Amino acid sequence: MEIPYIVTPRKDTGLFNSKIAIWLFLASEVMLFGGFFSAYVFLRIGADYPWPERALPVLPGLINTFILIGSSVTVVFAWASLKMRQWRRFQFFMSITVLCAVVFMGLKSVEYYVKLHHQALRLHDYTIIEGHLGYEMKDDEAVLDHHGDKIEENQIRIETTGLTFKTERYEKNWVEERINQAEHGSSEITLAADVKAVTKEGQPEEILAKAGEPLSLELLARIQKVHLAARAHNGSLRTAALRKEWKAAKDDSPGKRGWQIASGVSIDVDALAPKLLTEIGTIEFKVDPPARMDFRPRDIQEGETKSRLRDDTQVDGKMLASPMVFHNVDAIDFQFLAMKAVEKGQDPIAVIENSWLIKNHGFAKDAWEWNKTQVAKLEKELIKKHGVDKKTGLPKREPTATERYRVGWKDFVAKADGVERGEEKIALKEEFLGPDYAGREAKHTFPHLSVPREEIRFSSKFSPAWNTYYAIYFTITGLHGLHVIGGALVLAFYLFFGRKMYDTNPEWLANRVEIGGLFWHFVDLIWIFAFPIFYLM
Amino acid sequence: MADTPEAIRKSIRTYMLVGAVLFAGTILTVMVATQPWLDVGVHGFDTMDCLLGLAIATTKATLVAAIFMHLNHEKKTIYWIFGGAFVFAFAMFGLIALAKSDPIHDPLFYSDSSPVVEKDASDS
Repeated sequence: MEIPYIVTPRKDTGLFNSKIAIWLFLASEVMLFGGFFSAYVFLRIGADYPWPERALPVLPGLINTFILIGSSVTVVFAWASLKMRQWRRFQFFMSITVLCAVVFMGLKSVEYYVKLHHQALRLHDYTIIEGHLGYEMKDDEAVLDHHGDKIEENQIRIETTGLTFKTERYEKNWVEERINQAEHGSSEITLAADVKAVTKEGQPEEILAKAGEPLSLELLARIQKVHLAARAHNGSLRTAALRKEWKAAKDDSPGKRGWQIASGVSIDVDALAPKLLTEIGTIEFKVDPPARMDFRPRDIQEGETKSRLRDDTQVDGKMLASPMVFHNVDAIDFQFLAMKAVEKGQDPIAVIENSWLIKNHGFAKDAWEWNKTQVAKLEKELIKKHGVDKKTGLPKREPTATERYRVGWKDFVAKADGVERGEEKIALKEEFLGPDYAGREAKHTFPHLSVPREEIRFSSKFSPAWNTYYAIYFTITGLHGLHVIGGALVLAFYLFFGRKMYDTNPEWLANRVEIGGLFWHFVDLIWIFAFPIFYLM
Repeated sequence: MADTPEAIRKSIRTYMLVGAVLFAGTILTVMVATQPWLDVGVHGFDTMDCLLGLAIATTKATLVAAIFMHLNHEKKTIYWIFGGAFVFAFAMFGLIALAKSDPIHDPLFYSDSSPVVEKDASDS
């Protein structure tokens, strides 16, 4: 079937059909992104924590803006070239456009990678610490988990005496990890008691597994199979019994509605009991001798003597010291703590100086003192430059909350290099990938820190879980990134497969490129707003 | 609209000029946000910086829409379609105002935490 009016305009609208279609689509896109930007405004004005201002590196964002603007220019040149029937020029400009899209997404990927590998931690007193965690090491080599990933020094350690698995939903990888960890500690995980069950209707109980049998996936699978069969059998018996009762109730009360007789319908549980098979909800194992087992914080709800994993496995045993170990701290932030202090009517400076971090770690005290001298200098500069309000006697301009209460990674560099804030020398690579920890090791720029578990209120990477800022940042830029990929694919299709159409109907191809170009300009338009909002405000 | 080869040839200069203005606008946005001598309002980010940044962004977006997307000489149908979408988009921004009618008053919603912190800190 031939689609009408894709080369020549319709008489009533004066437009070719695809153009109407793309504008309708762009209209829906305006509403979609409008919704997300309004969500950003809502989250920002309603945030109950200091909203991160200029938290993203400006240079990569700026380069990406240049790239998108440049590609907007080249895509319009590509369209103009087609209109002027210059195929080679079209190829040239369209290639640059597609290349720009690839570079844009490359830079975005780097930015996402850096954020998703950067650790943030909030203490109970609202101090925030940022940096990179160390990895579990053995014989100078990083220990790997079942995915082959390095294990961060952020584990919940339990002197495990017993494990109780939920028969229906134990996580196989975790079971293997427990077996490995027990072996490592020369311990054995064995069944705590015989597992007995009625597996056939009317038959006596039989022993499925004997106490002392070692934990294995095969054993769990065997018990699970019996449990699931029993559950299915019992379920069908109960359903059949209920149907029978329901039918009898209906026969006894003709003409009555279901809801009128429902309360009188019930199963005779005692009559059913002899026919039921044994369901084995949990399987209990003991660990002898008790072994140290490590769990990722996100996988466990830790308790003093009993903890629970996400797959409902119960872990018995005493929790050991489980510190979070920062190999490199690259920022300490007291803005949240200061905000809370002000809310309580306390002096934020005094509260900061009594905080756990300052009291227990010399490096933090040094960094804070250094920051205070920098703030004092800035205050003097601002008074010198802008003066003091004659009515109130207060300085006309003052340092920001970020300058007062946050020591960022560039500040750590300035401190280590012995220069003033803002005078530090940052390598271009660091602007994209964050601080060069290894390169700055010699000056001990980024200190080591071990935080006891009991001091931790919340921790996360710089992912949507950390705060609403990162949630909306990843939502809008992620959705925008998907648009970049989609647009680039369409434009690349015209570039690589457009020649045949150019030879037979060049105006049609020009119209197609115009449509693709309109979408591409819209993608640029969204970024024009996203860049200042996320990177500069 | 410029869709004869001659008219398009003439438009090329306009496209280049708009591209240059967009690059310049981007640099200006960054400078306003990062250079102390261009910092309007109070020291650091504030409402004035926000308005200025958004004004530059809106100007850039208008140029892209008007020149690159040819909205400066488009058919009425397109104006209705695209303009209509903005009515709904702005309405969504307007919905935020409804939060003000929330009977459960949340003081944090109305206050910008940072200036509160600054004010208190300057007193100490």
